[in-house]
Amino acid sequence: MNALTSKPLTFALRLPHSGASPLQAMLHNELHEALRSRWFLVYTVVFGGAVLLLLGLGVTESQVLGFTGISRVLITYLQLCVAVLPIFLLVTTVRAIAGERESGILEYLLALPLTLSSWYWSKLLARFVAVLTPVLGALLLTVAWASLNSISIPWNAVIGIPPLLASLSWCFLGLGMWISCVIRRQEWALGLAFLTWLLLLLFLDVLLIALMLRHQVMEEVIVALTLLNPLQAFRTGVLLLFEPDLSVLGPASYVLLDTLGAVGLQLYAIFYPLLLGSILAVLGLILFRKGDWT
Amino acid sequence: MIQANGLSKCFGTQTVLKQLSIDLPEGQRVALIGGNGAGKTTLIRILLGQYVPAGELTVFGSNPRQDRMNVLRHIGFVPQNPPPLQMTVRELTRLSMALAPSGTFEEIRRCTLVLGLDWEAHQRKPFFKLSGGMKQKLLIALTLSRKPRLLIMDEPTANLDPAGRLAFLGELARLPETTGMLLSSHRVDELLGLIERVVELDQGQITLDQLVHDRALAGRLLECRVAMVEEYEPLRRVCREWSLCNGVLPGVFSGEIAATDRMRFLSALTPYSHQIRQLHLDLP
Repeated sequence: MNALTSKPLTFALRLPHSGASPLQAMLHNELHEALRSRWFLVYTVVFGGAVLLLLGLGVTESQVLGFTGISRVLITYLQLCVAVLPIFLLVTTVRAIAGERESGILEYLLALPLTLSSWYWSKLLARFVAVLTPVLGALLLTVAWASLNSISIPWNAVIGIPPLLASLSWCFLGLGMWISCVIRRQEWALGLAFLTWLLLLLFLDVLLIALMLRHQVMEEVIVALTLLNPLQAFRTGVLLLFEPDLSVLGPASYVLLDTLGAVGLQLYAIFYPLLLGSILAVLGLILFRKGDWT
Repeated sequence: MIQANGLSKCFGTQTVLKQLSIDLPEGQRVALIGGNGAGKTTLIRILLGQYVPAGELTVFGSNPRQDRMNVLRHIGFVPQNPPPLQMTVRELTRLSMALAPSGTFEEIRRCTLVLGLDWEAHQRKPFFKLSGGMKQKLLIALTLSRKPRLLIMDEPTANLDPAGRLAFLGELARLPETTGMLLSSHRVDELLGLIERVVELDQGQITLDQLVHDRALAGRLLECRVAMVEEYEPLRRVCREWSLCNGVLPGVFSGEIAATDRMRFLSALTPYSHQIRQLHLDLP
């Protein structure tokens, strides 16, 4: 049967975008693109696999620094998130704009009547959803596994972890978008992403200790550096959920706990990375708007 | 439609467009020609608001950079190289319709079919997995269905097979006369029936700006005489196609052609120029 004379139009093509705003249409599209991309598959396998591995290896029965059971699994999983999640987000996001520019996708999309903001925020929001889905899925998997095996669940931590993960993800997505807007070439963008991640990771412990002990840097500077590091904010927030005294963290965290209090520190751990990510994302858009786009 | 005055664009130390000034009235159809690196794609991207140029530019009375939504609403663009979009044909169609709702799906489907692409058979395939020609056909169909006031196409026929090319030219010819066109192409000959003006760029400057469809010549005929070096069947065939008659002398064809078709006629003769001894064109 000829395509023109086949099914009626309404059945031939349902249009979920009909009446949708450009932002909604782009968001729908970007989400589909993200969910079927290779990085998303690898990412899901890494985080889902990590949890399965931790549960399968019987980590619930081990005890480190007083943490045992599901708390032990979650702590290990979140330590993995601190190391892997940011670099994963950076590597995949810094190439978002540079890659589309090089492949000509940007030239085509930005020739359509679509606002720059719709294009940009849809890209960011879609990635945010795609990034959070497997991470939160792994968390749910852990809770389900604990319920099935009658292991006690630290609900306080389980409820507190998603906002922290969302905040961390948003922060590094914003940073990734900013790098992608500032640096046109993929290789350079990747290089800067690695450098940033490495510095943030090193400033969690190693460099802070070196600054304190070897170079006698003032306590205020150390605390300021700790406060500025979104990875540290996430780590502090996570440990506060499991161990409100923060006895497993360093002196800088003690000072922060003393200054801000447990609730203040928890709010800071959620809202600081969120704010930082938003500022960087907005800055990225402003910079992108000023230059040549393709 | 487009007014550019002293338009320049540099990338680092390299100047790609140099003080380019051009005025394209509403509805005019222009072939933008020039070799690689002449500045055609840069000019197109400036018109689409994607580059920041020096100089003055308005498209439909607005600056394409500052008022891009207003400008892009009226422009349909087909790039030289189809982008490797991951989305399926169906999703791309939906997206295009959502962003530019002036087109109807029926029109898209009709256009793809005319161009030789069965939309329904390919709707679930990722766009990047289509062949180069298929991608181009879909993008052309999506663009034409929007009925833009200005069509900007960068080498639109580059990936098309001969049948697709012919169908594409037919679709362009079907567009309302008010539709302006800026068609960048290496093959100006196949556009000659469509365009009114040829603008040639070389090293970022306009080296030729010529009206093809001269209104003063509209409706007038040119006396034409082609004398061959020796009888050559392909050239005889071209002459017959243009309704020229073989007179008493062997290898000499004569007749009349529409004055407005003269460039198209010359393009048809070009491949056989080595077989032409004498060519005469004159207004009676």
